[in-house]
Amino acid sequence: MKSTTADSGLRRPWGAIVAFLLPALVFYVTLTAYPALRTAWNSFHTVLPRRELFVGIDNYVALAGDAIFWRAVQNTFVWSAASPVLEVGIALLLALALYAKVPGARFFRIAWFTPVLMSYIVVGILWMWIYNYEWGPINIVLRAVGLGVLARPWLGDPATALASLIFVTSWMWVGFNMVVLLAALHSLPSEVLEAAELDNCGWRHKLVFVILPLIRGTLLNLVILAFVGKMKIFDLVWITTKGNPLWSTETVSTYVYKRAFEWSTFDLGYASTIAVVWFVIVLAAVLGLTRLFRVRDKLEY
Amino acid sequence: MAIVKLDKLTKLYSSGHPPAADNVSLTIQDGEFMVLLGPSGCGKTTTLRMIAGLESISGGELSIDGQKVNDKPAKDRDIAMVFQSYALYPHMSVKDNLAFGLRRRKVPREEIERRVGEACRVLGLVPYLARKPHALSGGQRQRVALGRAIVREPKVFLFDEPLSNLDAALRVSTRTEIAALHRRLGATMIYVTHDQVEAMTLGTRICIMSGGRVMQVGPPLEVYQRPVNTFVAGFLGNPPMNLIPARVESGGAAPVVQIGDTVLAIPTGRVGTLAAGSVVTFGIRPESLSLDPRPGAAPGARLSGTAEQIEALGAETILTVRIDGQADRIADRVIARIAGDAGGIALGQPCTLSLDLNEAHLFDGAGMAVRP
Amino acid sequence: MLKRSLIVFVLCGYTLFAAGPFVWAALLSFRTTSEIQLDHYALPSPFHWEKYPDAWFNSNYGTYFLNSLEVVLAAVFILTFVGAMAAHCLARYKFRWNRAIYFVLFSTIIFPPQITIISLFQVLVNYGLYNSKVGLVLVYVAIQLPLTIYILEGFFARIPADLFEAARMDGFSDWMIFWKIAFPIALPAVSTTIILNFILLWNEFLFAVVLITDEASRTLPLGIQRFIGDTQEDIGMIATGLMIAMIPVIVVYGFFSEKLIQGMTAGAVK
Repeated sequence: MKSTTADSGLRRPWGAIVAFLLPALVFYVTLTAYPALRTAWNSFHTVLPRRELFVGIDNYVALAGDAIFWRAVQNTFVWSAASPVLEVGIALLLALALYAKVPGARFFRIAWFTPVLMSYIVVGILWMWIYNYEWGPINIVLRAVGLGVLARPWLGDPATALASLIFVTSWMWVGFNMVVLLAALHSLPSEVLEAAELDNCGWRHKLVFVILPLIRGTLLNLVILAFVGKMKIFDLVWITTKGNPLWSTETVSTYVYKRAFEWSTFDLGYASTIAVVWFVIVLAAVLGLTRLFRVRDKLEY
Repeated sequence: MAIVKLDKLTKLYSSGHPPAADNVSLTIQDGEFMVLLGPSGCGKTTTLRMIAGLESISGGELSIDGQKVNDKPAKDRDIAMVFQSYALYPHMSVKDNLAFGLRRRKVPREEIERRVGEACRVLGLVPYLARKPHALSGGQRQRVALGRAIVREPKVFLFDEPLSNLDAALRVSTRTEIAALHRRLGATMIYVTHDQVEAMTLGTRICIMSGGRVMQVGPPLEVYQRPVNTFVAGFLGNPPMNLIPARVESGGAAPVVQIGDTVLAIPTGRVGTLAAGSVVTFGIRPESLSLDPRPGAAPGARLSGTAEQIEALGAETILTVRIDGQADRIADRVIARIAGDAGGIALGQPCTLSLDLNEAHLFDGAGMAVRP
Repeated sequence: MLKRSLIVFVLCGYTLFAAGPFVWAALLSFRTTSEIQLDHYALPSPFHWEKYPDAWFNSNYGTYFLNSLEVVLAAVFILTFVGAMAAHCLARYKFRWNRAIYFVLFSTIIFPPQITIISLFQVLVNYGLYNSKVGLVLVYVAIQLPLTIYILEGFFARIPADLFEAARMDGFSDWMIFWKIAFPIALPAVSTTIILNFILLWNEFLFAVVLITDEASRTLPLGIQRFIGDTQEDIGMIATGLMIAMIPVIVVYGFFSEKLIQGMTAGAVK
């Protein structure tokens, strides 16, 4: 009587598997999964330094009527929606313009990439100077060309503060997107472009029907990256405006921080509620974006 | 001394699927060069990997020198393997690649030096000792892979299609090298391939597998000349054996079979007894067919038909003939391998083939050879 | 010809736009605040090199710098080994929960940090790790682990399985195979993650600002924030501080620009 058991490959070396994975899982469970679950739990409580009171969905109800929160959501969404268009759009235009071989490409690549490597703190301070009312280069140039009426404290004026910050993030990220897109363009099979050439298709047709579909995967990733990055944005706002003036630059991240650690309510529960709601919104938005592009995928073929 | 014995070795990847290796029984004698041959997916590589210890054994017993090794880890089986992809460590020099396994086994330094040095001399690798694998040609990498097995001085060598990544010319010369290596070392070697030329030229014996099962084991010529079933008959040889459906007219020691309108009398003693009226498969190798009646050919051993394809290769001609009076089916064509040219036969012309029935094979309804 | 000069114009224009602010900051860092107030755009004359030691010793930038270095190097060191081990495991062994674990780890990349940060504050307070560099190091490892595993797993998965089987027949244990075969072969990818994690953590601000308040434990971004809070108008000294924060990044970038670009863009190119 022979014994026959179904198995694949060798018996699993469970000892080795556990040993290799355990450190990472310990970090993940204690410093990511557990805190995330605890935040969810917090959101149903008033969390004071020494005690926690169950309050049911009171925090959620209060949040629904919190005008500052909705202002922060609106600002963040404006930022998250504008950034992908600006960053990826401008980068794509520049990348296409520079698609041809240019001398010193390596140097330019390195130079354009620099801003994303610097911290938002450094960038924020530099742009506070650039936007300075009296001696910032923008206002100096405006006055020099006779448009002095347009000069203003860009970050101090509720009408321009958010747009000015959005511009800063675009300045940081266009170079990054351009480098990625150039890499994607150069990795396109040249036969495909030559075939399009032979089909006598015009430059614009080539762009719309050949190039863009081929780099769609890269574009989607860049859009999601720009989108998610702005959904999380904190550092730049914190160092420059702290959400001022008049909540015109308040983002969800800065508001969570203020409610948790700045306002002297000592209650972490309400801030946790914001975090949970925001987590759900970000997740839904990313899934939605991916789905949107997938549906398009199917339509095209 | 190394006798490798496989007793009903079985590999089941998941229940519900047919086993990848199904009751494989095979004994490889000491110093023998055994070739496992078969089409892809026949279970030959799975069998080899079970011997190596890279794949667990679902059923049956594997023993080396009488000792059961089913549950021994690969490293304790004293086996070396040459991989299809060579599996050279890309971050180590040729020398380190060769010495790596020995250092692990705590072989003394001078001994490592001696073995590595000797292997390199034999394989002509001395000038490349300090190079990394990416700086070597395909043939050189293949020799490093061989060397890595040689220095181990194992009881058994395993080869997993080691020549399939080489170009045609290199494949022939490396094949010769492996054969020389076997003669020199006299070690037990087990070699997996799907290439029948490699199998015929290298093997002391060949084990032909299909669907996870062993079909036939024997010396190359025996397997070629006396295939046990239609699979082996159709797999070996290029072009393969002609296999034509036939009906037994009269049984007995010298049966008479009918193919279409043609009646063929098989010589006495060539095949076993068959019942009259049974349906069989008639098999004959292309080289046993000729264009002109040869002296000594049994009377009436002829097939006539139309020349459908003529491939003149110079020294020989491959002639495809559609047999008269048969439906248009592949099995009703025969392929003949004729020395020299086709003797003026042109496409679409009628021609007559003479059959050497002393080389005929008959397979019963289940495809098994009918032997006396 | 016209097209060509237009391209060169765009190239140089954009480069000036991207790099200009940094050049300006570098110039400011060599000038005193009183010089700057006279003309914000003049070249340094004379070069006030002494501002760097001044910032380092008298404005506490030395402490911030060393804190940053300590925290970031410790975190990167742990990340490299923990991440490589996990990535190797997920790439090499087939087991039931493999893809589920990979997906769970990977999906953390898109999480907004707020979902963990409030509770992390509580957790670290509970364990006495609040306001400690050790606590910050552990948190840094946790936040960079998903990206590290993602980049490394992709590389480890491309190492042919034959190599590991050959090593196994050579008598090597799972641990030795990781250490002597997989890790050395994956060094290019490992070094990419080292550089990338270094830069990203060097610039990290949000977790630091929540988890560290002690002056003695502040990292550079926190130090700069405190410095501008105290002395909004001392532009000269702030610029010197910014340069101290940027120089390590510039040095790393100077040496490993291709690797860094490769690492930063790893997820974006399909």
